[in-house]
Amino acid sequence: MLYSILIVDDSLPMRAVIKRTLKAAGYGASHLLEAANGEEALALMKNSWVDLVITDYNMPVMDGLAFIKAMKEQDLFQDIPVVVVSTEGNQARIDEFMKAGAAGYVTKPFTAEAIRDVIVTILGEADYEDTTDDGDEDFDF
Amino acid sequence: MKTQLMTEMKTSISEVMETMFFLPVEFGQTIVLSRAGLDVQDTMACKLAFSGDISGQVILAAPESLVLEMAENFMGEPRDQLTREHLTGTLQEMLNMVCGNALRNTQASTPFELGIPEIINLSEIAQDDQFHIIDTDMSKLGMLLKTD
Repeated sequence: MLYSILIVDDSLPMRAVIKRTLKAAGYGASHLLEAANGEEALALMKNSWVDLVITDYNMPVMDGLAFIKAMKEQDLFQDIPVVVVSTEGNQARIDEFMKAGAAGYVTKPFTAEAIRDVIVTILGEADYEDTTDDGDEDFDF
Repeated sequence: MKTQLMTEMKTSISEVMETMFFLPVEFGQTIVLSRAGLDVQDTMACKLAFSGDISGQVILAAPESLVLEMAENFMGEPRDQLTREHLTGTLQEMLNMVCGNALRNTQASTPFELGIPEIINLSEIAQDDQFHIIDTDMSKLGMLLKTD
């Protein structure tokens, strides 16, 4: 099954790294969308179907926590699972994300396996083999 | 607490540089940037403020050639396809991960708040600021921790 996955992070390199990680995890054929902050993500979601959101916390305009809360207030978005990928890794902060409705949490710096494990738990194993020849076969942190 | 934070910063730099950028590091002397052998004309710098039990800012200074190597390793993209935005974003993300990781491991009664990393001009750094010099295989970078 192919998914539509939205990556929300103000860092262009980090969005690229997460995309690469998703490809290495077998989600390369999925539709990978990008937004630079929560506000941009909400606008994009109004016009695009999204199965999973991967978001940073510390972003300008609208941070990850405000973004999750805004999503959960809207009928259309409230059932979309959200994985937080952030440097903010203390337990109090993680509890805050989970209470707001996050489905998973990965702390930066991360390994490809950490991202893969949490996404597989939510979406299930990617059953599509990525055949694009972009050198990702050897990718590993 | 500043001593503990500095120890965590060094540990964090090692972890982030090795895990995300595949560049092992060694810590050298503490010295002003102009005497560290860094090419000031070619150096990029980034600042990140934090607040909590202890507040302050961390500045990282690195030669553009090293940031290019880091971006290439981080993103897995050939360097001829990397733009200025990729380089500044890589340095900002590196500092964000270093600080977040270090502050998370620092014993604190309340969670720290991190600002947004910002690229700064070297002229914003005081001439007498003492940087911790970090050696990589290809060049040096400097880290400055300032507390309020």
